[in-house]
Amino acid sequence: MKLVVAVVKPHKLDDVKTALENVGIQGVTITEVQGFGRQRGHTEVYRGAEYKIDFVPKVKLEVLVEDADALKVSEEIQASARTGKIGDGKVWVLPVEHLARIRTGEQGSDAL
Amino acid sequence: MSSGKKFVSMSLLTFIVIIVLGAMWGHHSPADTTGPAFNSLGNYPKVTTNVPVGQAGINALGSDTGHLGVSVNFTWTLMTGFLVLFMQVGFAFLVTGLTRAKNAGHMMMMNIAAFAVALLAYYAVGFAFMFGGIAPIANLGGVTPLTGIFGHGSAGVIGLHGFLLQSGGSYDVGVMVLFLFEVVFMETAGYIIIGAVAERISFAGFLLAEVAMAAVIYPIYGMWMWGGGWMAHLGTSLHLGHGAVDFAGSGVVHATGGWAALALAMVLGPRIGKFNKDGSANAIPGHNIPYVVIGTLILVFGWMGFNPGSTLGATDLRIGLVAVNTLLAACAGFVMAMIMTNAKYGKPDISMSCNGMLAGLVAITAPCAFVAPWAAVVIGGIAGVLVVYSVAFFDRIGIDDPCGAISVHGVNGAWGVLSVGFFADGTYGIGWNGVGANSVHGVRGLFYGDVGQLGAQMVHVVVGFLWAWGVTWLIFTIAKNFMQIRVSAEVELEGLDMAEFGVLAYPEFVMHATPVHVDSNGSADTNGAPDRTVDLEQS
Repeated sequence: MKLVVAVVKPHKLDDVKTALENVGIQGVTITEVQGFGRQRGHTEVYRGAEYKIDFVPKVKLEVLVEDADALKVSEEIQASARTGKIGDGKVWVLPVEHLARIRTGEQGSDAL
Repeated sequence: MSSGKKFVSMSLLTFIVIIVLGAMWGHHSPADTTGPAFNSLGNYPKVTTNVPVGQAGINALGSDTGHLGVSVNFTWTLMTGFLVLFMQVGFAFLVTGLTRAKNAGHMMMMNIAAFAVALLAYYAVGFAFMFGGIAPIANLGGVTPLTGIFGHGSAGVIGLHGFLLQSGGSYDVGVMVLFLFEVVFMETAGYIIIGAVAERISFAGFLLAEVAMAAVIYPIYGMWMWGGGWMAHLGTSLHLGHGAVDFAGSGVVHATGGWAALALAMVLGPRIGKFNKDGSANAIPGHNIPYVVIGTLILVFGWMGFNPGSTLGATDLRIGLVAVNTLLAACAGFVMAMIMTNAKYGKPDISMSCNGMLAGLVAITAPCAFVAPWAAVVIGGIAGVLVVYSVAFFDRIGIDDPCGAISVHGVNGAWGVLSVGFFADGTYGIGWNGVGANSVHGVRGLFYGDVGQLGAQMVHVVVGFLWAWGVTWLIFTIAKNFMQIRVSAEVELEGLDMAEFGVLAYPEFVMHATPVHVDSNGSADTNGAPDRTVDLEQS
């Protein structure tokens, strides 16, 4: 199994969720996060004084999938989260060593 | 020329054209600037039926009419006083929104504690110091039970009747109405200082400031202007126009609060992190911009009591003009601050535009009854420009004023007082402060031929600054040797809520170290946003 992790723009979350549902994904975990990338935040002016917004708000998604589905899910997320502008985020895939459903004790693919 | 700049110059040009056109049409003869044409008996609703023929009937009608007039004035003064009381809510929203979430409980507690503590201090001594020689006034009928004044003739310096609303026959319905209206004015001067001392003053230090304001600083200065004191008599004693004129308190209320706030901000020093080593200022954004806007709108609404109520009676039909002038200045201030921030910083600044609206209100407070509507727009518009430069100025000289209290209330209070000396058009205020009762002119400024009036207004500005700034600075320079007027650095960094009151304003939310949250769209570069976003792509 693989864990697909993506950091996307908050307002694209709905599109990503719909796209994942359409390819039959059963569950997603999301977290509100903040961070910066190559662009390093941005500068604004408040009451005449400049300040830097170092960390831009994003949403992080975590999706558990079968090995074979990982790349397809990654591509779905990219397609649905893309605006073409700076700050669209990233997606990456990690191996999963162990997985269990807590209620039933099912393990591995059965627990997906 | 970018589209932003073009928008600004077009708006400015339109603005100026409108004002010039208005000024040109402003010299048609005014129809009824004080309302005497409404004053015939036939226009009153009849309250007495079956009036006996003859003198007895005339007396009965006269008595009804007189009582009705005083009743209307009581109602007006009380209701406008209640509106001014509601400004307390607006100010609490405004200053809490402009500061950080970690201090929100402290900000709200300061607002409500200021109200309670200062009210009792004003009740105990402040009201007597201020109005002990003059209350109540003719509009509120009855006799004149408060006649104790210290200082001879036109040199009155302090009132002496009315302590605890007991001494000198102050147990009187007219006195009560005056007290209610005046105490909420004092509250305004009292809560102004919160904006400048926010996020670092200790609660104990703040209470001391409130007591000093309510018992000494505000009432004694107020007596000089409104309690029959020496500054109101500059017209009769030194022949300076009508003496210092301040209709609803640009100087008495707002500049007093603003300059006291300046003194406190100087004694306390800036918040940790406000200024860099090289003296440049950092922005410390407030945590709730919607609160700032809500608070500003509530203050505008309350100001509909603050200015029109200052006639102390609805029988003075000038209230119609006063209300309209107040709104005009508020909106002109907002528009100009919005245009100025857009021009200077690339985007309209929400909180600064709100400050501009308040600056317009503060500035029109002194002249609101004495100027024509076009002048109200000019006065408010200038206030909106002044506030933007003033906030930048105090940042540059290292004085930390989180909510712009010094700029909105101090600087624009002074501007409002001066503006009477320029724009007062003589249609109102015949016999004001005992000057020119037989003249055809009321209060006139420089543009209408009375240089002396501007002189009296300058005295008001200078004495007001020296008194409010000086006394506050003195009290706190002494007090800081005996008590902790500023919280420790650890408490300031942690947030004042827990250390001072043992509770958080928002206990179920995680406090973020980062100052603001912007939507990720904020980093987009193609929304027609001004210059600044262009930098982003290159970074």
